[in-house]
Amino acid sequence: MSGVAAEPTLNRGPSVEATMPRYGMVIDLKRCYGCYTCVMACKTANHTPPGVFWARLLKGESGQFPNVVRQSLPVLCMQCDEPSCLEVCPTGATMKLEDGIVVVDHDKCMGCKACIMACPYGARYSVDEWESYFPDGLPLSPYEEFTKKAWEEKSGVGVATKCDFCRDRVQEGRDPACVEACPAKARTFGDLDDPNSEVSMLIKKYRGQVLNPEFGNKPKVYYLPPR
Amino acid sequence: MNPNANGQMQREWGWWIAIYLFLGGIGGGAYTIGAFNWLVGGVAGESTTVSLWIGFPALAIGSLCLLVDLGSPTKAFLAGMRPGTSWIARGTWIISIFMVLAFLHFVLHLFTGTGQTSGGRTLLNVIAILGIVFAVGTMAYTGVLLSASKGIPFWRSGVVPVVFVVSALVTGHFTIMLGIALTSGSAAVPDPLRIMAFEAAVLVALEVLAIVFFLQAAFRLPDPRESAERILRNRMFVIGYFLLGLAVPLVLMVVAYRTMPQQSPTGAVTLLGIGAVLGLVGGVILRQAILASGALPTLNMGGFEFRRIARPKDPKPAPGLMPPV
Repeated sequence: MSGVAAEPTLNRGPSVEATMPRYGMVIDLKRCYGCYTCVMACKTANHTPPGVFWARLLKGESGQFPNVVRQSLPVLCMQCDEPSCLEVCPTGATMKLEDGIVVVDHDKCMGCKACIMACPYGARYSVDEWESYFPDGLPLSPYEEFTKKAWEEKSGVGVATKCDFCRDRVQEGRDPACVEACPAKARTFGDLDDPNSEVSMLIKKYRGQVLNPEFGNKPKVYYLPPR
Repeated sequence: MNPNANGQMQREWGWWIAIYLFLGGIGGGAYTIGAFNWLVGGVAGESTTVSLWIGFPALAIGSLCLLVDLGSPTKAFLAGMRPGTSWIARGTWIISIFMVLAFLHFVLHLFTGTGQTSGGRTLLNVIAILGIVFAVGTMAYTGVLLSASKGIPFWRSGVVPVVFVVSALVTGHFTIMLGIALTSGSAAVPDPLRIMAFEAAVLVALEVLAIVFFLQAAFRLPDPRESAERILRNRMFVIGYFLLGLAVPLVLMVVAYRTMPQQSPTGAVTLLGIGAVLGLVGGVILRQAILASGALPTLNMGGFEFRRIARPKDPKPAPGLMPPV
């Protein structure tokens, strides 16, 4: 070893040694200013219907007046190493792939919603019917027609759906849509098993934490603390 | 009312699932009591007959309610393909086997006269013992289904299956009483009814203890506490379940038990019938209220609490906010 810190690497796809990456994400809460760009980027990229937010933003407060701090918390599917959604799935529709991403096979899902009840992070959704964004029974706009078709082709109807780290994009060597769109560069995506990846180094350097570790799900989305 | 006020409650499992859990409980409870009476040969042959008329149909209708709630019911058969991997898969097998046993018992006992011969009686005894095992499994499963849901802290209690088993026995018992009251009316034999009133009072008292213990345990932790407070603010739960579904039937059963020998059969049957109907309505309300009070857990990070988790079906803009196209 030369003693010089190694350059961070993204290491998306399978490496030449054919070791499968274990994808994870780091969200720096000091950088996040709650602009909802990730939420909108996710909706645009995944054509999610009204009311479905694979990427969400929660707001929390701490302290007492007048010393109150408000904090944003972006949340998404934590792609847990021990996913409780997988444990309760009766049909085998929920699977953890070799790269650690948890996906739903909509050809197998019967829509029992047990996985939605099992996820302590509230990351799963089920959509029986596409509802218009607009009130008063207006017909779907051309954009809605397009997104509805795209959603039904990709995610199905009446089945469980969730964030899959934009797996299609990742396989093309791109970042998930929320990572790419974040104007504050608060999100970083990469291989948690590679000690030289940016995500691993950020977690190590800034003591990345997972949300509610007491749930025991071993999430792969880490947060760098806000203060 | 702010539609977002409900933002932290689960909204996926509603009335269909409540009715499914209720009917599953009734099927299991009624069969257990009827088959037990058959095995010990005591209380009333009528209770066994009525329970067999109730057990299988209740389960069949309950299963239909579950199918209605499924997002993709044509794939429901897949739930039975991987037994042992999840509670729903196990439950599918438990309920299916129980339905077969209940149906067999129903047909053999009521339509073939199998119980008239010694060999036939042995066969029915074996079916009844196996049926009771799977009936208890079905009653417990309705609670285990909820307690296995890690995302709803209120349900993550070992007491939930106990509450559901006791409630299933109570509602099963009430259904049998109601069946006897409706079929026999004033011709009902007072002594067995008196014993059933006593049993019902004991079971209702046990349910009161179970539900009080469940709520008291929920108050110990912040997230379940929120649900417990919510369920106690729910008028339908307090008045419909606790008062009309538990307290009033308990009083009616005790009164019926104490006055049965002196009272006219019609008066006693009326008392028991009213108590049974109220108890049954309370059983549905209990399950719906527990489902509707399931609050999502609070997320914590860096000293902040993030209590509201947006869920599907966020409210649409109020009519008039969007200009007409």
